[in-house]
Amino acid sequence: MTTRTLRRWFVVHKWSSLVCTLFLLIVCVTGLPMLFSEQIWDTFVGDDDPPYEVLPPGTPNASLDTLVEKARAMFPGQIITNVSPMDDEPAVLLSMAPSWQALEEDKKYPDRNSSHWIKFDARTAKVLEQSRPANAPPEPRTWTGLIMGTCTRLHINLFAGLPGALFMGAMGGVFVVSLISGTVLYGRFMKRLPFGAVRRDRASRLTWLDLHNLLGVATLVWALVVGFTGLVNELQRPLFGLWRVTDVRQILKPYANLPVPSQDHLASVQAAFETARKAALGNEVTGLSFPGASFGSPVHYVLWTRGATPLRARLFTPVLVDARTGALTGAYPMPWYLRFLEVSRPLHFGDYGGMPLRILWALLDCVVIGVLVSGVVLWAGKRKIATDARLRALGYALDEGEVSPVSALAKGVS
Amino acid sequence: MKITPPPEGAFSVVSEARGRPQIAVWRWPIALGALTVFGLFSALLGQKGLWLVLSWISLSIPFIVTVVCLLQAWCVPSVKGGRS
Repeated sequence: MTTRTLRRWFVVHKWSSLVCTLFLLIVCVTGLPMLFSEQIWDTFVGDDDPPYEVLPPGTPNASLDTLVEKARAMFPGQIITNVSPMDDEPAVLLSMAPSWQALEEDKKYPDRNSSHWIKFDARTAKVLEQSRPANAPPEPRTWTGLIMGTCTRLHINLFAGLPGALFMGAMGGVFVVSLISGTVLYGRFMKRLPFGAVRRDRASRLTWLDLHNLLGVATLVWALVVGFTGLVNELQRPLFGLWRVTDVRQILKPYANLPVPSQDHLASVQAAFETARKAALGNEVTGLSFPGASFGSPVHYVLWTRGATPLRARLFTPVLVDARTGALTGAYPMPWYLRFLEVSRPLHFGDYGGMPLRILWALLDCVVIGVLVSGVVLWAGKRKIATDARLRALGYALDEGEVSPVSALAKGVS
Repeated sequence: MKITPPPEGAFSVVSEARGRPQIAVWRWPIALGALTVFGLFSALLGQKGLWLVLSWISLSIPFIVTVVCLLQAWCVPSVKGGRS
């Protein structure tokens, strides 16, 4: 490699790193509490739900239709929007709203939320809990909630919604460029050094450089994977949008102009779950939304199913069941880009291998913070050298007591 | 008045011929990278028992290697000071 090419790589590394460093520092730091959010919530806020009734093992679940009827009886005149069995508790969550139109209008007012939910015991069909009514005084904010909320939003979109998410995605892309160019430079810098050497008997700049190289190369692959999957995650809204305007629109075309039927005359919800389970064989059904939901069909139950094996559990397949007749319309596997997105999520979150994996994620994250900080120190030091040289050229005598970085640097490399 | 150009980057002075063969530079990075990839995917694809343990072990090796190198640099009196 000629010095010229190398210099180009250096420029690429410097600028790509400068562009993304601040944002990477933000995501690295805010990512740490997010890794342990479950534990943090449990420790500081806790769970005040009453324990589940102890029933003999093998007690069958109540029919979902019973829950639907109960919910309707509790809120006559309202609509049910979603039925979601919880996967880690024997409970079913039913979401309701005054009407689809009310939900649509909510979007115009950020502080309005007309939807609410009821949590049922899946086995006894007893009401366990209800969301706070809209006119109740807001729940007191906890420090935990405030801190976790701030971290999550900073991490995902810097409080700036979709533009923020796309911006952070772009920063993820720049980070990948910086990692690749950094790797090229590593190969050159380390030609005369054994792996992992950190020279401490020379200029401090060389110590920082060696540190940057060591920390960077040790976490290189992890950072590439987490950085790239982070970028993919930031694209989820555009990718889902793309799917909606292409495949989904095509599938729903024959039904698009039909009126939404009244919820009093719909086919059985329980039967729709069974139908979906059969249509996507080997999958479990994770939820159902009622006809009329935005992005859904006016006449279909949309059921979300997912695979049962560990990897396939991340791949969702929607199933459409005609809510007027209960007949299956079809199961629609997602396009490749959404499958890719879904498989890439765990690789970003580190939530798929128990607590030890989360701890490793946190440790590697801290090492990456070390790479960022040492990179900034190197860049700032370099600027100081350039400034000193210019000042000297202009005739300013610099303090001789201080080791001149220029000579130290020259000594270090010769 | 003459303004001297800023000093060259550290790399520009080193001559290509004097370095180690490229493969020696990459031996450790490739090994650590391979361990990372194995660790990431053994937990993702296996997700149970032994695969999880293998994942924890292989992902912790890059971290442990880093810590060992740092300890060597800061605790062992400088014998590993490079070869120039």
